[in-house]
Amino acid sequence: MKNQLRVLRAERAWTQADLADRAGVSRQTINAIETEKYEPSLPLAFTLARLFGLRIEEIFEP
Amino acid sequence: MTNPSAARRAGRSLPISAGLWILCYFTARGVLELRDLGPGLRIAAALLPVAPFAWFLWTFIGHIRAADELERRIHLEALAVAFPVTMLLLMTLGLLQLATTLSMDDWSYRHVWAFLPAFYLGGLALARRRYQ
Repeated sequence: MKNQLRVLRAERAWTQADLADRAGVSRQTINAIETEKYEPSLPLAFTLARLFGLRIEEIFEP
Repeated sequence: MTNPSAARRAGRSLPISAGLWILCYFTARGVLELRDLGPGLRIAAALLPVAPFAWFLWTFIGHIRAADELERRIHLEALAVAFPVTMLLLMTLGLLQLATTLSMDDWSYRHVWAFLPAFYLGGLALARRRYQ
């Protein structure tokens, strides 16, 4: 699943570890989502959307 | 999502419980090498690793419960590798036992069980590599 996570994170100057801490997951999880190796669950996608102040479909696209 | 305090707790106690279990296992193996022990002591020595293993299992389940969703998937994929490979090993050993005489010095339970965690660790390494 394509996503804008890396771009959004860079805009806020957050490291993967920063985002992982805020989302309550490991840095490996954020990296796996960014590299499209792992599709997050709906609750995690909602959490990420809330952290960026966006809707899920603005971050993830099928 | 992870539970940070539970994850820290599990992270601390998991290696300790695993170490204690392995230590008790090798202690039991060493004690059972002694020939002049009575049958009661031999059985007690053989059961020595059970309690530390129960603690290890408790902390391992705690580790899984505290893990985030990717870590849980990694463990699931490790199981998906380890379980069928274990079945294959046991099935093959069973058939080989029918076909020929397997040496119990090499293929008894005391040797074969160690393959199971090895398969699990192999499955973990494969799954972790996939999500790196």
